[in-house]
Amino acid sequence: MIGADSLLRAREPSALAGARRLTVFYDERPIPASDADTVTSALLGVGVVATGRSLKYRRPRGPYCLQGDCGTCLVRIDGVPNHRACTTPVRDGMRVERQNRVLAGGPDPTALVDRLFASNIDHHHFMVRPKLVNRMMQDVARNLAGLGTLPDLPAAAVRPMEHRPQVLVVGAGRSGLAATARLRAAGLEVECLDRFDARWSTPTAQAVRWETPVFGIYPAEGVIAAIGGTADDRTLHTFRPSHVLIATGARDVMVPVPNNDLPGVFAARGLLGLLTRTDTALNCPTIVVGAPAVAQPLAARLGASFVAVDDVQAILGGSRVEAIATSSGKREAGCVALAARPAPVSELARQAGAEVVWMDAGFAVARDELGRCGQGPWTLWACGEACGVTADVAADDGLRVADNILAAVRSRPDRGPR
Amino acid sequence: MTQRMFICRCEDVTVAEVDHAIGIGLESVEEIKRYTGLGTGPCQGKECTVALVHLLLDRGRITASAVQPFTARPPAEPVTLAELASLAELTGPAELAAPAELASPAGEAPPSGATP
Amino acid sequence: MSPRPTLGSRGVALPAACDVAIVGGGVMGLATAYHLSQVSRLRVVVLERSYLVSGASGRNGGGVRMQWGDEGNVRIMMESIEICRGLTQELGINLWFRQGGYLFVARTEAGEARLIRNAELHRAIGAPTRLMSAEEARELVPDLEVSGIRLAAFNAEDGVVFPWPFVWGYAGQAIRRGVVVRTHTAAIAAEPDGSGMRLRLSTGEHLRAQIVVNATGAWSHDLNRSLGIALPNRPHRHEILSTEPLKPFLNPLVVDLQSGLYFSQSTRGEVVAGITVPGGHDDGTVVDQRSSLRFLAHLGANLVALMPRLGALKVLRQWAGPYDVSPDGEAIVGPTPGIPALLQVCGFTGHGFMMAPAVGRILANYIAHQQRHPMLERWDPARFAGGATLRREDMIIG
Ligand SMILES: Cc1cc2nc3c(=O)[nH]c(=O)nc-3n(C[C@H](O)[C@H](O)[C@H](O)COP(=O)(O)OP(=O)(O)OC[C@H]3O[C@@H](n4cnc5c(N)ncnc54)[C@H](O)[C@@H]3O)c2cc1C
Ligand code: FES
Repeated sequence: MIGADSLLRAREPSALAGARRLTVFYDERPIPASDADTVTSALLGVGVVATGRSLKYRRPRGPYCLQGDCGTCLVRIDGVPNHRACTTPVRDGMRVERQNRVLAGGPDPTALVDRLFASNIDHHHFMVRPKLVNRMMQDVARNLAGLGTLPDLPAAAVRPMEHRPQVLVVGAGRSGLAATARLRAAGLEVECLDRFDARWSTPTAQAVRWETPVFGIYPAEGVIAAIGGTADDRTLHTFRPSHVLIATGARDVMVPVPNNDLPGVFAARGLLGLLTRTDTALNCPTIVVGAPAVAQPLAARLGASFVAVDDVQAILGGSRVEAIATSSGKREAGCVALAARPAPVSELARQAGAEVVWMDAGFAVARDELGRCGQGPWTLWACGEACGVTADVAADDGLRVADNILAAVRSRPDRGPR
Repeated sequence: MTQRMFICRCEDVTVAEVDHAIGIGLESVEEIKRYTGLGTGPCQGKECTVALVHLLLDRGRITASAVQPFTARPPAEPVTLAELASLAELTGPAELAAPAELASPAGEAPPSGATP
Repeated sequence: MSPRPTLGSRGVALPAACDVAIVGGGVMGLATAYHLSQVSRLRVVVLERSYLVSGASGRNGGGVRMQWGDEGNVRIMMESIEICRGLTQELGINLWFRQGGYLFVARTEAGEARLIRNAELHRAIGAPTRLMSAEEARELVPDLEVSGIRLAAFNAEDGVVFPWPFVWGYAGQAIRRGVVVRTHTAAIAAEPDGSGMRLRLSTGEHLRAQIVVNATGAWSHDLNRSLGIALPNRPHRHEILSTEPLKPFLNPLVVDLQSGLYFSQSTRGEVVAGITVPGGHDDGTVVDQRSSLRFLAHLGANLVALMPRLGALKVLRQWAGPYDVSPDGEAIVGPTPGIPALLQVCGFTGHGFMMAPAVGRILANYIAHQQRHPMLERWDPARFAGGATLRREDMIIG
């Protein structure tokens, strides 16, 4: 509900008048926003946490990871379904709508599903017999499934663009940026891409194609594809480099505690990132939950309190977080931040053919002592947190691998870009 | 609100449901993905895979040295059909390199011992 | 609680000998096992190299149709669809069989002629296919771009299923009736053993069987080759994708005859779409399951041209699976020339899933009771011995 307890506020109240000059519409109601806002931060600022309903149990859902990975912040924006609210910058006049509601206004009758089926719904064996009931169940299921409805309009055309750099660096975090700088200083032609805009990364003088996520690596075709640009001017980039450096970093993952899906439960690092990027502060009691070594430092940085994951009995609330039940009693909270160890991001490396190994926090890219993890139309390299290296030494790792790439290029000077 | 502990929020898969799948004899990440639907929603496993592996390790179903995530299928990031269509002329007909060509490209030795 | 395997597992004990050993735990092998358990008391073992649904049966589009160009195929599919109607209850698992129909659209004169010819055939044998104009097609699929469409054909009995539970359902019921389903176990060699055969398994075990069924789909070429059997079916990579799920907007599965594009909406709301990319690499002997960017581009261009409003949909994932292609487009089912104890059930190209309910029954009745369904003559593995074969079916998509 708009106006209900807001989760975020601007860090500098005095800056409010100057910065809050955009208006976005959420289900047709105007919401103030600043140009630093993403759709999610603007919504949290006015107390909107739940933006959809879950597929099976019809529970209220809102953003979690706050960095474009989990896909539960999806909203319809300007007539196009399933936009990630947490990574979409606001634009003046933007129309944001919630999805997956049965009725436009008022309470959602399907919310009853969660209570009626207090044990699990086994969708394979649910209402299989008799046939007539099964058929009705299928019709209902079909109508409850699906997120969003068809786009209002056909999509605009986009431009394709081909590039043949010597080195393609995927990811402009600490390790990717360090490597890019080193390789460029040595005179190599380097493309560096990142899925986010510059606010998500360390400040840098390096030229980076921001907001240009690589979505596919196709070694059999010798091509890497990325999609970039602003909402109404998109470019589909293809790259045919001689060397590819995977520097995709690490991400927050789910921590299983009871009711970990309630709106207002976020990934702790994602939340910290959101506050930094959008220049906002938490406006409600917040509890960080996790293993002490990981969660306590994050709690300190968020200005939040800490509860060890083993002490949590359940997160409590209705349509959003209200408290958590611990072994020593109930504690009020407007927001719960779950802190797991960051998991290496390895999807693109795996698409490229690299092996991964389980390293407890997640699957890390396996590489040889030089940093190589595959050979095909290009030499594949990896560095930084994607390989399970910790954040504090990621930049050094990037430099080390960059030096090895340089040595490889110099030992084979005849081999230019393909 | 019924108390539920989720592994996969996209497809509403709880810890109890994964335990049920384990109970009927499924044990690998790929099998449990298919049976429970875990990892088949908008996140495509980014949020849930690690939590699933922890659970399977905890239940003694897999070993840390052998476990693998499910296949990473493109696209790893959202891209639309119209955007992809823009490549139709650029790319021409499909011609994949034969698998053998990939494994050992002429003149380039494959990396040695590519595991740390 | 210790695991109670109801879907097959690597832990289940194998007997030293059985009556029928089915190699391959895809839909064909398991449908055959299920029907054998119903029509006979034969001891049946199914061996699956990986997990269930790891092969083509876990990678297909789930399309089920009776709109074929050849009478035999139409009749088989009328049988299959009849079985599918009650199969959710019979197998005790939700198959999400939804009869939203198949809508074929033709843009060329030749395509138009094909649809007209088929509709006549279908009418004659009682399949309710209806020809319709482009405008009528747009009533069924409101956002279809119909300007280039000359004629369309629609059959409301056709539909889509969710493939995975189909496979598990057959496995679950077969196991309940005493069939042994062993996963993560490959047959790696076979040799004659009296009147039957003896299989060597990847686990080091052996299994003797009176009859061995090669139900390894696109891998059947491998298994046959290792036995010195030369049959002409070959694996062929076919790519497919699914999009983010949307609320229901599309009832039929739509096929563009000219480009071979097909797309449907699953019960989960995803658009599932496939197309064969012209000139794709295939060396024809190994199963290749890699995805390509060209497929995404080719499919995107064709789908957006046919239904522009889908342009803003995001692709959720793409994958590939093997078609098992025979030279005449017909399946290969029956005793292997020279090795009567080895039965083949392969060569189903892009339509083995929909035919499995009927084929499993036909093959089980053949094994248990020597019943010869009329199609068995056409599907006879020996037919290739005489050289060139006739290609009758011209409605193979993709
Ligand atoms: C992308 C795609 C889309 C399709 N769309 C449709 C469609 O819409 N409708 C339709 O009807 N059909 C469709 N098909 C075709 C359909 O999927 C197949 O015809 C059908 O699944 C074949 O079933 P199968 O059991 O013969 O093969 P599979 O499902 O491939 O099963 C063979 C099994 O054998 C196992 N195996 C292999 N070697 C050995 C060994 N030595 N020992 C033990 N096990 C072994 C494999 O692991 C595999 O699980 C499609 C296929 C693809 C690839
Ligand atoms: S994708 Fe937006 S919150 Fe996770």
